[in-house]
Amino acid sequence: MTALTRPVAELYRFRELLSLLIGRDLKVRYKRSALGMLWTLLNPLLQMVVYTLVFSTIMRMGVPGYPVFLLSGLLPWTLIAVSTTSSAFSLLNNQGLIRKVAVPQAIYPLAVVGSKLVDLLFSLLPLALIALLVGRTPSLSWLFVIPAVVLATAFTTGLSLVFSSLTVFFRDMRHLIDILFQVWFYLTPVLYPASYLEKLPYPWVRRALELNPAAPIIRCFQVAIYEGRFPAPATVAAASVWAGLSLGLGFAAFQRVQDRHIHYF
Amino acid sequence: MRGALSFEHVSMCFRMHREKVNTLKEAVLGAFRHLKEPDELWALRGVSFQVQRGESVGLIGHNGSGKSTLLKIAAGVLKPTEGVATVDGRVSPMIELAAGFDPDLTGRDNIFLNGALMGYSRKEMAKKYERIVEFSELGELIDMPVKNYSSGMYARLGFAIAADVEPEILIIDEVLAVGDERFQAKCMDRIREIRVSGCTIFYVSHGMGSVAELCSRVLVMHHGQLVFDGAPEPAIARYRELQGFTPHSALAGNA
Repeated sequence: MTALTRPVAELYRFRELLSLLIGRDLKVRYKRSALGMLWTLLNPLLQMVVYTLVFSTIMRMGVPGYPVFLLSGLLPWTLIAVSTTSSAFSLLNNQGLIRKVAVPQAIYPLAVVGSKLVDLLFSLLPLALIALLVGRTPSLSWLFVIPAVVLATAFTTGLSLVFSSLTVFFRDMRHLIDILFQVWFYLTPVLYPASYLEKLPYPWVRRALELNPAAPIIRCFQVAIYEGRFPAPATVAAASVWAGLSLGLGFAAFQRVQDRHIHYF
Repeated sequence: MRGALSFEHVSMCFRMHREKVNTLKEAVLGAFRHLKEPDELWALRGVSFQVQRGESVGLIGHNGSGKSTLLKIAAGVLKPTEGVATVDGRVSPMIELAAGFDPDLTGRDNIFLNGALMGYSRKEMAKKYERIVEFSELGELIDMPVKNYSSGMYARLGFAIAADVEPEILIIDEVLAVGDERFQAKCMDRIREIRVSGCTIFYVSHGMGSVAELCSRVLVMHHGQLVFDGAPEPAIARYRELQGFTPHSALAGNA
């Protein structure tokens, strides 16, 4: 166990660096833009308008309160997908530092996840506003968003660590990862409700899709925010298992190979 | 003891792939090519030495003799292929000034970022902040993004930070080549002060004068091996002998 507690203690020692790197990312991202941080709020809103137009007006999905349903799944999905795809470059982009200063390398992908997590937390504000407008007043079940965010962050962190390292060894990852996440997005009930998958005619496809690790995590958000109740224990258990596996395995794998990164830059 | 450093039979090998395998296609297509041994480059071979707290050690050798590799291992950036390197204490790697600067951030933000990279808290850095700004002579420019700085200003801020973080081990690698003469002299004064304060110093330079002046002990590297470990004068003589070069002006020991 000491093999893992020592790197965790090392990371903790550099917690201020982590918060500085997150702050740097936010500062640099919004510099010289007239609306600044407002973009973090506007971005999911604009996406919501487009998707609602397509799936509720043109394709007539027949989901009541579609904007709230969509956003409740899209926000955590964005955390997972955008963090992982941007983390893929985090080690390469910081190789100048990695070659010179001995800092736990996990800091760099973690900082990416941290800054996307800030985005997610800010986006909950317009979501609550839209929920009010659509007539789905936030209830007590919104409290479950807190553990759901923790699970989503743990899951995302594991993926980000793995992909940041893989990209160092195989540069193709940057192209593969985009395709991977696009396919994954359509296989995960974000644009459509989970019940759609239950109607699929082939049982083996259903069973395969039930193994989608992102699905129970996204579902936690949708149930708590859109359906206004606490998620079923089975869903929470599945989400926790995937989140724990991703974080544990991702971190352990990263620790094993990180000393080799420097030879592949 | 904090500030001590020990290398035991440290070797460092870089695998030089003629064609670097960095993509999946190359890994798959080149699966058989992989069977061919990659070219190995031993940057260090069996280097052993101990440094006590407070010693100032010079490191000299020709280009490519392994000085930088040795320093990177001491700084914890590289892990040796063979052998054990033990470093006790906080290392401030002045390896390349301003390595940790983010061009888009202001000088002020960069001071805190650099401090955090060395493991210092915001509070600790806030205490040093005034002194760093004063030493760097940047004045109000400290609130400007560092990408607008001249290379001299960059170097001044970098040195000011590295010199003020009170490390147990300070690594100085050819940093004094930048900045004007007056600032260089100021830096040398500061290094002498740090030396007196009991900090362990690793000093790398091709300027034999400053090596002889600053260091009580000098390591000579030659093709990845440690060939001499002792007093500055014989070390410099050995280094010149290995180079087959004797500058006439430097014959009379300039300590």
